[in-house]
Amino acid sequence: MTNKKTKECYFCVNNLEVDYKDTRNLRRFVNFYMKILPSARTGVCAWHQRKLATAIKRARIMALLGATHK
Amino acid sequence: MSKTKTTGTTHYEILFIVPNKFTDDEAKTVVGQVEKMLTDGGGKITGREYWGKKRLAYEIKHNAFGYYGLFEFDLEGANLAKIDSNLRLFANVLRHQIVVKKTKSEEDIARENKIRAKIDSKKAEADKKQEIKNKIPSTSTNVSKTKENKDSRVDLKDLDEKLEGILNADDLI
Repeated sequence: MTNKKTKECYFCVNNLEVDYKDTRNLRRFVNFYMKILPSARTGVCAWHQRKLATAIKRARIMALLGATHK
Repeated sequence: MSKTKTTGTTHYEILFIVPNKFTDDEAKTVVGQVEKMLTDGGGKITGREYWGKKRLAYEIKHNAFGYYGLFEFDLEGANLAKIDSNLRLFANVLRHQIVVKKTKSEEDIARENKIRAKIDSKKAEADKKQEIKNKIPSTSTNVSKTKENKDSRVDLKDLDEKLEGILNADDLI
């Protein structure tokens, strides 16, 4: 719980838009197995978490991000 | 609210992969072909990008590499399905994805600028607070030291007076 308080939404704080082509930023919200990380762990707000999930899925379709690790 | 959009254009973005069997120049001609398909379908191209050869995150039809192309275009929603099916049948494109791209209105830009200004002001405040925090410990120690010095001086004066009093007293002699 103490962890949750200190974290802030990465996209809100930096005034960024979630973009499926921006793989460098998407990478930090995906674990080693390329699974989407929960917002409780990353601190992303609910509004951006929804955008983030679709963006990661779009990136997977275009082979910009993997769906599994190799 | 009807689900189908009949009038007005929408801003779309298409990203597609050209397979690795082509050379860079050939891939560029394929990109040109895609552009022609879009314009023939009634699209008005507003932006184009060519990323060049990139490694795919996973193999698609035994292609480990691909050339990425990107177009932004305005199109009437009704014409989209045809372009999509045409691209699906087009063998020179490995994969494509058409996405609705949100256009920024003036209000959005104004809002963004406001948020940016807020963030900047917050950062400045935080910096100021930190500076103050860094200063406080040094000043507080100085104050306490000066107090101590004053106290010792006062004590010395008192002592001197007392001593003089004692020396001048008749009892000693």
